[in-house]
Amino acid sequence: MGDRRGIRIGMGALAISGLMALGACAPGTGVVGGAGAQAGQAGSGHGTVKMVLWPGPEGDAMQKVVDAYNAGQGKTDQITVDMTLLSRQDTFSKESTLMAAKSADQDIYFVASYNVGQYAPSLDPVTDIDTSAYFPVAVDGLKYQGQLYAMPLDVSNHFLLYRKDLVDALLADTAGRPAYRQVAQQAIGEARDPKPADHWDWKDFVAMSAWFSKSANPGSPTTYGTVLQAKNLLYNTMIWDDILWGEGGSWTKDDKAALTSDAARTAVNVYRTIYTKGWTSPDSSQAEFPETQAALKAGNAAFAVQWSAGFAELNDPTKSPQVAGKIAIAPVPGQKTHVHALAVALNKYSNNKAAAKKLLAYLATPDAMSQYAQAGGIPAMPKVLEKDASTNPAFTQIAESVDKYGYSVPVFPQTFQAYSKIAESLSGAWVGQGDVDTALKSASDELQQLLG
Amino acid sequence: MIPTTSTSGTQRRRAGWVLGSPLLLFALLFVAYPVYQGIQTGFFGLTLQDPTVPFVGLANYAKLFASSGFLDASRFTLGFAAVVTVLETVLGLGLALLVNRAFPGKKLLFTLLLLPIMIAPALLGVMFRLLLNGDIGLVPGLLHGLGLDISLFAPDRVVPLLVLLDVLQWTPFTFLVIYAGMQSFPTEVLEAAAIDGAGRWRTLVSIVVPLLMPVISAAVFLRLIDAIRTFDVIYVLTAGGPGTMTTTLSIYVYKAAFESGNFGLAAAASTIVMVVLLPFVPLLVRRVARTAEDQA
Repeated sequence: MGDRRGIRIGMGALAISGLMALGACAPGTGVVGGAGAQAGQAGSGHGTVKMVLWPGPEGDAMQKVVDAYNAGQGKTDQITVDMTLLSRQDTFSKESTLMAAKSADQDIYFVASYNVGQYAPSLDPVTDIDTSAYFPVAVDGLKYQGQLYAMPLDVSNHFLLYRKDLVDALLADTAGRPAYRQVAQQAIGEARDPKPADHWDWKDFVAMSAWFSKSANPGSPTTYGTVLQAKNLLYNTMIWDDILWGEGGSWTKDDKAALTSDAARTAVNVYRTIYTKGWTSPDSSQAEFPETQAALKAGNAAFAVQWSAGFAELNDPTKSPQVAGKIAIAPVPGQKTHVHALAVALNKYSNNKAAAKKLLAYLATPDAMSQYAQAGGIPAMPKVLEKDASTNPAFTQIAESVDKYGYSVPVFPQTFQAYSKIAESLSGAWVGQGDVDTALKSASDELQQLLG
Repeated sequence: MIPTTSTSGTQRRRAGWVLGSPLLLFALLFVAYPVYQGIQTGFFGLTLQDPTVPFVGLANYAKLFASSGFLDASRFTLGFAAVVTVLETVLGLGLALLVNRAFPGKKLLFTLLLLPIMIAPALLGVMFRLLLNGDIGLVPGLLHGLGLDISLFAPDRVVPLLVLLDVLQWTPFTFLVIYAGMQSFPTEVLEAAAIDGAGRWRTLVSIVVPLLMPVISAAVFLRLIDAIRTFDVIYVLTAGGPGTMTTTLSIYVYKAAFESGNFGLAAAASTIVMVVLLPFVPLLVRRVARTAEDQA
């Protein structure tokens, strides 16, 4: 019965492509599901372990860990790890298809906090790994119905990345205070003084956005104060969530969708005000991580809420000659940062589970994670970040920020879809399209449907 | 011994089956069977979460027709496809008329014109994303140099931008089809029109366009069908937003299957797209077949 379901779902995925292809009389977008639906097996405990990761800093770092394992501990374990890097954009689509087909092609999948609930039926719970060395928020984000389904590998959170030279100059310029107060009065309705970046709340963020924009302050050294990541993209919901949580809100209240709250309205209005007043580039409506990096690198924006992975590049003189050495890091205004863990999980249908578990146990050691950190990853172990602080200047702040300010959204089977639906419902309102309350009601209704 | 007509007909039919069987087999395996499975999938609640795979009948279809997201995507897709098809056909015809004469550098121009259709659409999307980026892109930089500070991705410009990019990418296709049709054009008709004193516009409207109508129709059908399944460039540039402003049916299907994990709903949406598009296929085949018969 299970086999037939796997084959049917796999064929379903293929058929969707087929239908689109036939309908268009041209090749479709190419989704192919396997049909190897077999029950998982422990296997011999050695041999080849196949693992999926996505390319980029995490994949590059893991490749070095895997190479070291294959050359050292792997020989003792009689295990060779064969790692496949899928495309960053489509890793999860391809994994979904493999899971739907109950494929045994890969032993270890790459998953994240935001999709572990959706993938849990295709994964084995992680039962024999000591999780005490990880950030608790990273471990909690990978639990579904009380069981841990994946082992944290990399941790992602947000920071306020800002031009320290510009903010310091503003703070030192006492003669300019009245002008700042006037701009703040117009922007947020309060004549505030400028504050150091680690003391900002979201009102300060809005006021600073105005001050560093030529449209509100013709003498601004930058064209725009900030750059908002407002593209209709699920990852952008994660950034907007920081305002929601920072304002005391959440996706849910008493297990019901709560996106029509005052906090949610305030959070949308922060984006909407900044966008419609021209304190971020109009192109922000299609911006995500790379566009934010580009705006900061070019010196066109003074600050932005950005993923932790962006910091090192902005301070690298070869990659960011205009701003390297001028960018500093501070907690997200409102002192709440989304945290998600990128993780590795055991395929329920793997035929080599015993060997895969040995590899997972190895990856859970501080030594392996230290190698991972030195190779460019951001491991989810606070002590490793502390020990390897010289490798990445942001490690100390990441450890502090994840620990003090981190939150993870509730894990339920449709978390992944919820991020997407919230972006779909709100991204128009973020950039001044339509009505805020209508957009929030739509987002809340969609979320309630997904919560069940 | 001379074979009889019926023997030769039988042999020809047999040869037809033998020669056509690989393609037929390919079509059965990779088109007909997946299509059958897809239609069937649309009647089940197939998701990554639900192991029971319940039969849901027409529930997926009912859900789609009640969904403003699906209806918005349908409206945008049809409008987008209609606009780009008209523009690409008119521009393709214009280009074909311009290039259909001897001039120095014709081969180079021809090659340059065809470049966009040789690039994978997803790659083109990434290229456009870099070229049009307001902070580091070449195009905004050039426009800034000319004193024009235009944000190309602002919500009120994003749809025209996507139309423009599609036109840039696919006009070479309509140009190629129409230009190829022009090569079999009876020049004596044009000479007769010239002798009769017909002007350029009159010749174009009364002779050239009617004679080219079969190839123009083929180009229109092919582009329309292809434009309705537009995915790559729009997905890379806007992911269907802001909101759902630029969500095409293909993006809707992709998100339903791979973000929501709802294969049943995605299959039902694909089936609807196929049903909408299927009537175009016999029209196209009939038009092409009639042209072939006329030429024979």
